[in-house]
Amino acid sequence: MPEWARRWGWELLLAGILIGVLILNVSLSPFYLGVQNVINTFQLSIEKVIVAVIMAFVIVNGEIDLSVASVMAFSASVLAALHAAGAPFGLAVGAALLTGAIAGLFQGFFVARMGLPSLTVTLAGLIGFRGAARILVEDQSIGDFPEWFDRLGQDPLVGRLSFGLLLFLVGIVVAGIILHRTPFGRSLYVIGDNSEVARFSGINVARTKLIVMTSSGFVAGLAGVLFAARLGSVRGDLGQGFELDIITMVLLGGVSIFGGSGTMVGVGLSILIVLNIRNGLGLARFAITTQTGVIGVLLILSVLVPNLVSRFARRRHRGPGPAPPSGGRTTDQGGDLRGREHESQQATVE
Amino acid sequence: MKKHRTLLAVVAGLALVMAACAEEQQAGGGGGQAEAPGPGELVTIEGGEDMSGVFIPKATDNPVFDQANDGAVEAAEELGAEPASFEGPPSAEDIEGQIQIMTNAVTQGVDAVMISNNAAEQIEPAAQQAQDAGITVVSWDSPIPSGADAGESLFVAQVDFDETGEVMADMALDLLGEEGGEFAILSATPDAANQNAWIEDMEAALEDPKYENLELVDTVYGNDDPEDSYDQALALVDQYPDLQLIMAPTTVGIAAAAEAMQDEDLCGQVLVSGLGLPSDMVEFTLNGCAPEFALWSFTDLGYLTYYATYGIATGQVQAVEGAQFEAGRLGEYTIEPDPTRDNGLRIVMGPFTVYTEENVEEG
Repeated sequence: MPEWARRWGWELLLAGILIGVLILNVSLSPFYLGVQNVINTFQLSIEKVIVAVIMAFVIVNGEIDLSVASVMAFSASVLAALHAAGAPFGLAVGAALLTGAIAGLFQGFFVARMGLPSLTVTLAGLIGFRGAARILVEDQSIGDFPEWFDRLGQDPLVGRLSFGLLLFLVGIVVAGIILHRTPFGRSLYVIGDNSEVARFSGINVARTKLIVMTSSGFVAGLAGVLFAARLGSVRGDLGQGFELDIITMVLLGGVSIFGGSGTMVGVGLSILIVLNIRNGLGLARFAITTQTGVIGVLLILSVLVPNLVSRFARRRHRGPGPAPPSGGRTTDQGGDLRGREHESQQATVE
Repeated sequence: MKKHRTLLAVVAGLALVMAACAEEQQAGGGGGQAEAPGPGELVTIEGGEDMSGVFIPKATDNPVFDQANDGAVEAAEELGAEPASFEGPPSAEDIEGQIQIMTNAVTQGVDAVMISNNAAEQIEPAAQQAQDAGITVVSWDSPIPSGADAGESLFVAQVDFDETGEVMADMALDLLGEEGGEFAILSATPDAANQNAWIEDMEAALEDPKYENLELVDTVYGNDDPEDSYDQALALVDQYPDLQLIMAPTTVGIAAAAEAMQDEDLCGQVLVSGLGLPSDMVEFTLNGCAPEFALWSFTDLGYLTYYATYGIATGQVQAVEGAQFEAGRLGEYTIEPDPTRDNGLRIVMGPFTVYTEENVEEG
């Protein structure tokens, strides 16, 4: 097998699935192929895909952030509450963004400095920040934002692209460069792969984790503000349940839930797949619950099938399993499927 | 081996999506725009033209909306049009789901969208887009707050919203008697346009001296979710020891509250009333947990909505103040300004039926 195929195996698979989805959508609905529909497809989930980009960093780093949707709501609620209290709108937006970053920093402190598992810390965050959001806006919906703010969330800014969509497009490219082309990005993989090794190789593990968790909070806060602009109002239940959709996009993208592997290209492809399944099925008039179900099954298959196939292959060949991940070649592991390492260790023991 | 693996997963993914998509896509038919007669002239809406439409409930988990859709399908069949596609979000809290369906309707190029808005102004950009694309947008059950300013042609009101407040106040008075007492409201979502209008009207109605002994102590929200509503009902009882009545202007809330009171053996102490579906409430009305409640026919509401929408979309009826039309078996209606909104038009279906143990089993 050629080197490029080994390195980009998962991304090629995703590209294949994506092409399949696109062909199906075209055959299902005569309305699918249209510039505006492509824009709508992104626009309807823009907050989720923006957060998915930063979530890829968190998971590559070997952590998880379950609190993103609650932080979105909390930031948006700060915005709404300040606006309702008569604060200048610019100040309210600034405070909302800062709120997201502080929420991330706060959780990052417990994860990075106290060494608590991010699963527990951000689960607490999921509950706590949601509660805080509900306290701030109580049982109401707060709207009546300035006209320009609603326009920013709803109307095209450049050509047919909205502000959120531009932000996402620029963001995912910048994120890809940081993740794959900078020492900081590489250190995330090393930490995610084995934080002890990272520590001994002179990486400041705690500081890196703190930066990643804080960024996650900040981006979630930003997404919350964007959501408020798109809907034109804020409720305490804003974005409820989004964290699962976001994590699904990242995992389907080939980022290992155990950390240390995955590529931004994979996450981008996975975002396209999830959005297009929803859009295509929606245009073909399938219920929203069916759309969610199909995406769920795809996620299960994406984890199961590669694992089963590789296990089956190894048993037949009685081979020693794949070589351990090579240190600096982070993208190598992009093709290395989730959980494979653990599976292969088991297989070798057998 | 890797190649095989890739191939296998691709095939699996494709098969999955293909299986799920076996249903045929329905293309939209066009509606001719004839010159509609002006206000004051009665139009009998006639069939013959096709109309493609989407019928959007607040949520798909509430049986009253299925009834409304049954009515819409009945009307479509009478008019010889293709029944509208029934699509809604899984829960009434899901604002995004309605926005997605409305946006897709624009892409699909349907002729009409009929929506029971499950939030407040969040749907407005999508509704405006729909109207800009030439789609007739009619709301029913729960209106779009900015009305005509946000693309809505007409709101089909189930009852006069002012009447709802009075009907609820009267039921409360009837149940609590002259001595009155404390009562609380258990509503749907906090920004539901219809419930909020009714609650406001009820509060206005309570100003009347004849209700002076009725004391409204709190308004809580169960989000039209049975569990949430159940918990909120019990929380009310805990918080207000002297509470005598829970008034729920939502079919989900009233049934959940009645069940909560029944489960806790509180039926004699705390009564439940509001807007309920007879089939949900029979048990509670007969055992005294919810002796009296009111509702209108959701089937008729769906039927009337489809007729009115069809009339507007096919150009037979102009969506202007004073336009009069006849909607099949339900008779004549006149379009009027909606007093509950700044710039909205409505027709009012009515009437209320008040259910007690006398008539609940027929409902």
